[in-house]
Amino acid sequence: MASRALEAARLRPIRQGKRRFSFEVKMMLPALLILAAISIVPFFYLIYMTLNKISLVGGVGIAPKWIGFHNWAQMFTDSNVGAGWITMVIFFVATVGLEMLLGLGIALLVYEMVWGKNIVLSILLIPMFVAPVIVGLLGRFLVNPTYGVYAWVLRETHIFTGNILGGQVSAFIAVVLMDVWEWTPLIVLITLAGLVSVPGQVLEAAKVDGAGYWQRLRHVVVPSISGIVLVALLIRSMDALRYFDVIWQSTAGGPANATKIIPLRLYEVAFQFLNLGYAATIGIVMLALSIAIAMLFTGILRRRGLIG
Amino acid sequence: MTRKTFLKTAGVGIAGAAAAGLAGCSSSTPSHGGSGWKQYSGMTLNFISENTGPSSAIAANLQPFVDLTGINVNISQLVLTSVEQKVALDLSAHSGQYQVIYADPYNIMAPLSDGFADLSTFMHDKTLPSVPKGTADFVPTQLLAAGRFGDKLLALPYDCPTIIWCYRKDLFEKYHDAMQHDLGFDPTPSIKTTWDQYLQMARWFNTNQDEVPYGTGHQAKQFTSLNDDFANVLWAYGGDYFHNGQHIGKYGSTDPGPCTLDQPEAIRAAEFYNEMLSVAHPGSVSWDWNDLAEAFGDGLIAMCPCWHEDAASWFAPGGLGDKIGFSPLPTGPARSANHYGGTGISINKYITTDEQRAAWLFLVWATAPQTQEAGLFSKVGGGTPTRQSVYQMPKVKRATKPPSDAPNMIPYDAVKVAWEPQNIGLRPKVPYWNQCDAVIFTELSKMLAGHKSPADAMRDAKRGVDDAVNGGSSGV
Amino acid sequence: MSQTHTARRGLRLPGRRIVLYVALAVVVLWTVVPVAWMAISSLKNPADVLSRTPLLDFSPTMANYAGLFSGGNSLLTYVRSSVLAAGISTILATVLGSLAGYGLARSRWRGKRHLAFWIISTRMVPIAAVILPLYIGFTYLHLINSIWALVVAYLSFNLPFAIWIMNAFFADLPQGIEEAARVDGANRFQTFYRIAVPLTKPGIVTTAILCLVFAWNDYAFAVTFSGPGSATLPVAASQLITQTGVNWGQLTAIGTVVALPMVVIGLAVRKYLVRGLTLGAVTGE
Repeated sequence: MASRALEAARLRPIRQGKRRFSFEVKMMLPALLILAAISIVPFFYLIYMTLNKISLVGGVGIAPKWIGFHNWAQMFTDSNVGAGWITMVIFFVATVGLEMLLGLGIALLVYEMVWGKNIVLSILLIPMFVAPVIVGLLGRFLVNPTYGVYAWVLRETHIFTGNILGGQVSAFIAVVLMDVWEWTPLIVLITLAGLVSVPGQVLEAAKVDGAGYWQRLRHVVVPSISGIVLVALLIRSMDALRYFDVIWQSTAGGPANATKIIPLRLYEVAFQFLNLGYAATIGIVMLALSIAIAMLFTGILRRRGLIG
Repeated sequence: MTRKTFLKTAGVGIAGAAAAGLAGCSSSTPSHGGSGWKQYSGMTLNFISENTGPSSAIAANLQPFVDLTGINVNISQLVLTSVEQKVALDLSAHSGQYQVIYADPYNIMAPLSDGFADLSTFMHDKTLPSVPKGTADFVPTQLLAAGRFGDKLLALPYDCPTIIWCYRKDLFEKYHDAMQHDLGFDPTPSIKTTWDQYLQMARWFNTNQDEVPYGTGHQAKQFTSLNDDFANVLWAYGGDYFHNGQHIGKYGSTDPGPCTLDQPEAIRAAEFYNEMLSVAHPGSVSWDWNDLAEAFGDGLIAMCPCWHEDAASWFAPGGLGDKIGFSPLPTGPARSANHYGGTGISINKYITTDEQRAAWLFLVWATAPQTQEAGLFSKVGGGTPTRQSVYQMPKVKRATKPPSDAPNMIPYDAVKVAWEPQNIGLRPKVPYWNQCDAVIFTELSKMLAGHKSPADAMRDAKRGVDDAVNGGSSGV
Repeated sequence: MSQTHTARRGLRLPGRRIVLYVALAVVVLWTVVPVAWMAISSLKNPADVLSRTPLLDFSPTMANYAGLFSGGNSLLTYVRSSVLAAGISTILATVLGSLAGYGLARSRWRGKRHLAFWIISTRMVPIAAVILPLYIGFTYLHLINSIWALVVAYLSFNLPFAIWIMNAFFADLPQGIEEAARVDGANRFQTFYRIAVPLTKPGIVTTAILCLVFAWNDYAFAVTFSGPGSATLPVAASQLITQTGVNWGQLTAIGTVVALPMVVIGLAVRKYLVRGLTLGAVTGE
């Protein structure tokens, strides 16, 4: 506390302009300048794009044509964008939900391990280091109806004999599971870190009082790790809206649009329809929603006193 | 004797001549080529291409070109959607990253036609080498479909995969009599077979034998492949995407008029296609062309409409090989239509004149008969030629019969018929084709999934295509 | 730590222990099968890869790997681009992110929270949407077709991430040590460099590794901004999908080549990762 007051006292003359930049600002300056150049400029250009018709069709050049809020008006009445969002929401809830549940469960299992913990944890983390583009291609390979090993297992066990990426429901489940396979480890990792900090005395006391495993889990473990679980949720949510490599490589949005989440729609509008103004409009809405989700979670975290 | 006259008197393509020994000759006349081949020695060209046979063959054997011109070429091979994206950005931003471009007539050339150099400039330039044997040597419909847009020639035909009827000759022979007895017609695949008979045979295979699980299979994944497959039926039934669609397929149009997918012929085609897919291998709706070729090669289906260049993989050691036969696609109420999927290579307009002229050297060389011949027999599996003269070469003629050094030539008898003007099927070259294509294959995918009747799917497709052509962006 | 260890013996019954290990075995299997199958398939010849029943009894071949590293389009040029692009952007992100993270952590003004949030929000921009603005910028600066375009593109998602995490690590440092150093006459940069940096080494390692993984695995930016001389490994993987078929033998080989270095490096610093990820988020603002 004393240091904070000291610091504040030291800062005051700077504000009065004796030095142009404080030490802190100087330290931040190179990074912030680069960040500004590669994010603020593109960001304002994106906003500008949403107000223009920028079509690459013709191949002559990038000639923005001012059309005001036409792209915006169109987007809010575009049933295809709407459908993309609905698919996105279901995909988001399914993947992030499953990842949280499985991640939590697996972390609790690993936490209970006595021997072999390190080796098991090392194995469990592998998927998060595999490139998403490889995950998508590998998924396609594994569920191929002719030579896919997973397709074979499902067929031999009579669980599913159809064509996995050919059915709308099965294809959707398949791409959800690919995403879950890749990112559950991240949740395991973060949750485990939280479990290490569960207060041992409280647990012991609960045990002495005769609380069973599930009771202790519910009343001691879960409350003390809920903050960190929220953090995991935040990290995962921020990326969930951006990534589309896995679906792009495995189903490309089909069949019958069953897996066409909004980032795929954005890519298609931008680089197959070459309509970049409209694509920017969809992109800005995606960005706004990502930020809203992030603010929601950081707000919860702040209220819990987990962040400053 | 100058090199030019030598080439002329020798009567062979430049590339082969260069490969065969002109390299030594040219080194004796450094930095000065009689026909202008050496004028850009030292330059580097970037060529962006879909990952196709001819490009792999050229990448594997580029040395003759380097020896001939002193120009180095970097070849980037990507999946078609990535090529589309990179070319669109490169041309639109005038960044001049790629000088030579694999310009798919529908997905790249039509939407970006103003970004490519008109080749007639170079063709009539006396200081540049001319196209050996002239452009008349290209298969005529291919020169139009892959090369022309409006009144300009923007590309030289480079590859030519075409959808034909690929079938299990062994099974058709074995069950010939039984099928003829049950179905009442000669089941031997030919251009005279009707699509209706194709469907009957597919059903027959489903129920009357157990060597292959299903009769027919299709590339019906929600992807370009689905529209490609449907188009064969659409045209055979007398339908098309636009009025005068085949003309637009040859010359391109920025104003094709209203979409005609809602016409009775198109709806009948969609109804038939829907029925055919209901008896096809259920995997079909997740297969693109690669998966279909694999499935056929793996013995999952008795027949399929498939790109003819997949033959190479089936005739590889351990493959089905001689058990496979080829025919032009069946005939519908209107005709037999065989989907042409070839592409030309073109020159980026937004590069310096010198770079354009150097790129022209590459175009001429890469499409020269001798280069195509070398590519055809390449170990990495080249594509089939776009030059009529190559098909006349004795070595190439021999390759049409197995065992073949160039298995892609085995379907040639069927393909030759498929390329005749009355049998070839051409997509329309319109600037918004990518969007139209996405609209159509998505509607078809919904139809196959049972969400929509064929009539509704076609009417919705028409609406989406009209919107796309008018510059709308709602898509599908 | 040891206290918590003894305190949480929840599953003492042997029955429960068995359930625990069975459940873990299922999880391990679910995790391992795809990557293991990828590695196994990469050692098969083409016919075995496409076998209709899964083959475990086959004669292994290195042909797929040999094919990747030979010929005109050798994978080595892709490896080189990947190493350079991912490596340089990681170094830049880590160094600049550490400086900025320290500055942010030591700042005391009121709007700091908003600056921090803005920094991390720049990471949320949809990839396909920023491609055009970045492409125009790169063209203008003549960066297209060089690894520098990739370096800058990777910075766009790695720099905010690095600042965020490093800020958390520095904020976590007890300030007393730094003040002691200042009393001894060190200026502020010396304090940062000699005291703060060594103390946060685990955090710096974590940041660097995660940045490396993100950059190494990127596909969308790489396929757009790279040219023939700067294409990276994930681009090479997608190039094995050809018009006439997918070469699954080589594709699984390349998948193994792409994944192996990241898995090895990632696991080597596993312990730091836990700390880095959670701290970065908990106090990251």
